[in-house]
Amino acid sequence: MADVHQAALKARIVKALEEPKHSAALLRCMQRGRDNRARALTELPGGADFRGTVKAVKDRCIEHQVELVNRFIANAEARGTRVFCARNGQEAIDYVLKLASDRKAKVIAKSKSLTTEEIEINDPLIEAGLKVIETDLGELIIQLVHEKPYHLVFPSVHKMAADVAKIFAKETGTEVSEDIPSIMKVVRAYLRPIFLNADIGMTGANVGIAENGCIVIETNEGNGRLVSSIGDCHVCVMGIEKIVDTIEDAMLMVLAHPVSASGQLPTTYVTWMGGRSPLGEGESRGPRESHIILLDNGRRSTRDDVAMRESLNCIRCGACMNVCPTYGVVGGHVFGHIYPGPIGIPWTAQVHGLENAGAFASLCISCGLCKEICPAEIDMPMMIAEVKRRFAVEHGFAKAERTMMGADGFAALGSAMAPIANRMIQSKTARKVMRATLGIDERRALPPFTHQTFKKWFHARKRVSQESKRRVAFFVDVFANHNRPDLGQSAVELLERLGCEVALPEQRSSGYPFIAYGNLDKAREVATFNIARLAPFAKDGYDIVATEPTAAYCLKSAYLTLLHSSNDSEFVAGRSHEFFEYLIDFDTGTTEFPSLKGRRFGFHISCHQRPLGAGHGAVEWIRRHGGEVKIIETGTCCGMGGTFGLKSGPLGYDLSMAVGKPLFDLFNQSGVDAILTESSVCAIQLREGTGLPVYHPLELLAQ
Amino acid sequence: MASNVVTRFMEKHAALSGKPHRVRSSAEAADAIADILAAIGAQRVALANLSQELSAAIERTLSGKVLELRKEPFPASTLPHAIDDCQAGITGMAFGIAQTATLAEIAVNDAQRLVSALPRTHIGIVHAKDVVETLEDAAPLLRSIFQQNPSNCTVSFISGPSRTGDIELKLTLGVHGPGEQHAIIIEE
Repeated sequence: MADVHQAALKARIVKALEEPKHSAALLRCMQRGRDNRARALTELPGGADFRGTVKAVKDRCIEHQVELVNRFIANAEARGTRVFCARNGQEAIDYVLKLASDRKAKVIAKSKSLTTEEIEINDPLIEAGLKVIETDLGELIIQLVHEKPYHLVFPSVHKMAADVAKIFAKETGTEVSEDIPSIMKVVRAYLRPIFLNADIGMTGANVGIAENGCIVIETNEGNGRLVSSIGDCHVCVMGIEKIVDTIEDAMLMVLAHPVSASGQLPTTYVTWMGGRSPLGEGESRGPRESHIILLDNGRRSTRDDVAMRESLNCIRCGACMNVCPTYGVVGGHVFGHIYPGPIGIPWTAQVHGLENAGAFASLCISCGLCKEICPAEIDMPMMIAEVKRRFAVEHGFAKAERTMMGADGFAALGSAMAPIANRMIQSKTARKVMRATLGIDERRALPPFTHQTFKKWFHARKRVSQESKRRVAFFVDVFANHNRPDLGQSAVELLERLGCEVALPEQRSSGYPFIAYGNLDKAREVATFNIARLAPFAKDGYDIVATEPTAAYCLKSAYLTLLHSSNDSEFVAGRSHEFFEYLIDFDTGTTEFPSLKGRRFGFHISCHQRPLGAGHGAVEWIRRHGGEVKIIETGTCCGMGGTFGLKSGPLGYDLSMAVGKPLFDLFNQSGVDAILTESSVCAIQLREGTGLPVYHPLELLAQ
Repeated sequence: MASNVVTRFMEKHAALSGKPHRVRSSAEAADAIADILAAIGAQRVALANLSQELSAAIERTLSGKVLELRKEPFPASTLPHAIDDCQAGITGMAFGIAQTATLAEIAVNDAQRLVSALPRTHIGIVHAKDVVETLEDAAPLLRSIFQQNPSNCTVSFISGPSRTGDIELKLTLGVHGPGEQHAIIIEE
């Protein structure tokens, strides 16, 4: 069943891969968004710390939503604004249709509003004979070609100047030159009469303030100011989750929104609108009205849905799509329903239904980068996993997903039958069979299995007892256990040389694929098992150390979410470390070890490593041992996405290689001798994508 | 202290493609305005939200230099065209924010908003003593403005000229609003 669903998505991915020009424009836009954000953060006194403050304010306002909505309505009405609570899109549309008909309106000028996109209000209004014009340039461009937003903040980013010139030439019936200043002149002239003659101005609102019944509209072009002031009737459509308590709360949003979206603080125009003002004096042109439509459309039930509630913290900045690796390749028409990108998955599930969300949720490779950039710290990866889980309850898991979630057992079998298994993964015929039966791409070089697993080695070896300064509980993941036990061995030996006593508690592999593909019940079972085994060690004073970034990420972050921050999971997280972040505190570089002088490495940060120190420990360790190392990055994923890139076809290998291409190019142009990365799966991807040797830093010990 | 705030405002404003001017009196402000209008060849100019003193100084200085000064009250029947027809709009601002080079405008009549929104050039005037440091400092000011205007009131934050990056992410000024935005700061 799930495979049938994915077939349509795969066809759309194939089509997107054939349009590399769109992806190139989108990737430039995303890069610019990230760079500008980073620059803006240096201007903020607390830097990235504003994220915690935004989360706290949003959490508080959603918690008190019922009271805030009531207070907002009372205060807005006291200012003469009429407030209508719409349970769904249809009620909002009907309200506007009636308003337009009562006022005999002909022209509605709109300024950008995602909420009106959500309820697709334009079509029914146009069908009723109204002229409805989007006045934000990007929105206007896509309106004229009948498309949906490609990006939340830059909806027409996939249209080049030449395309835009053609669009306006067709619309205005005049010639339009392809340079941007000329296009702007045409746009200004085209929209001016619409602004001046609009009967109704329709906007969204970035914030509603309970304290005084004001709405806040942020724009850069100034269209929001014109739309909200000229027409005698102003209609604002806003979701109830936009309502905050105080002016101070609103000020924080006014700052957080553009910092995350485009690196501005704030947007050029911020309109704080409280009630409806007259236009001019004396003889009036008719009564001036202001209406606010407060939209529910699934928001109240989202608030009651524990796993999804945090999605209401979204402030629509689009930062998550500026960092999402697969979104950058396929764009918002494939990676989205109406709301695109990572946050688009839970939002689609809540307002447009699970079926629509499930249709593109598997594009999420669970790299976790969206969570790290989100101004409200929304745990999108886990929320998306929950959407995948709910979709799988209805439709099951796709074949390749089942394979990846069974990787543990598969690897155990591989180790047990190592010689045969290794011949199989080299054999073209066997690989074709594996594609058909398991969904593993035959172009992907798979790492060979070793007969002696790390665990077997650990328990079989002779230990020399010595006085220990530190006690370490080692956490090994599936790959290090079955495919590269040498890395775990090097880690253990190095720790022991530095005076640590190393223990190997009973454990299962991290189980991250269960999160990535949405089997959260299984993921929780694994987390419960591992935390129960590790917690006694943590309480006994052991430090828990993992060499695989994803394993460390599970211990420090994912298990906490899965187990709702149980005491034991908090305890384990507090004592868990990524190997080199741990080592760097006491390995001063004096251990006997071949010098790395004269060698030039490029370091790749795996996605799950970003919140754990972003490779700082490993890079510092290499430098202490004389190696030259520089971090080479695009700021997003290498494309492997854990096991995503092992899967066959467009929703796996093909997309994974397309995501990785810009990073492969950077490595190949960098002039380094070899690549270093701590992630076993990133290593597979980079080796294949660049043709360069790729090592785990621990391998350098043996060279 | 005050002049440091003004310096920070001006640096940020210039960085946002705005054109900041520091003057010492209403008369100097009027001279600066005359120069700006001469440079763009403005013939019809709209004024709003100005103190009696500033308005008088501007009218005196511009007398004979521009064809027409349009002032409040604007007859409702002529709007919005009477303001759209102007090449420049000049408005008084309630306060400024140095951190973000923001000029804050209070409007209880939407005609006042149009003076800073429709013409191609906007000149905003603020007193140095009314420039605060950060967005945070502006919150209590907003609170008291809305308390003093319990029925209708719109506050607009304006930070530089109208801009868009919607075509190829290339920064372009003046797509709908003013492409040229001046901030005149009066230090008295």
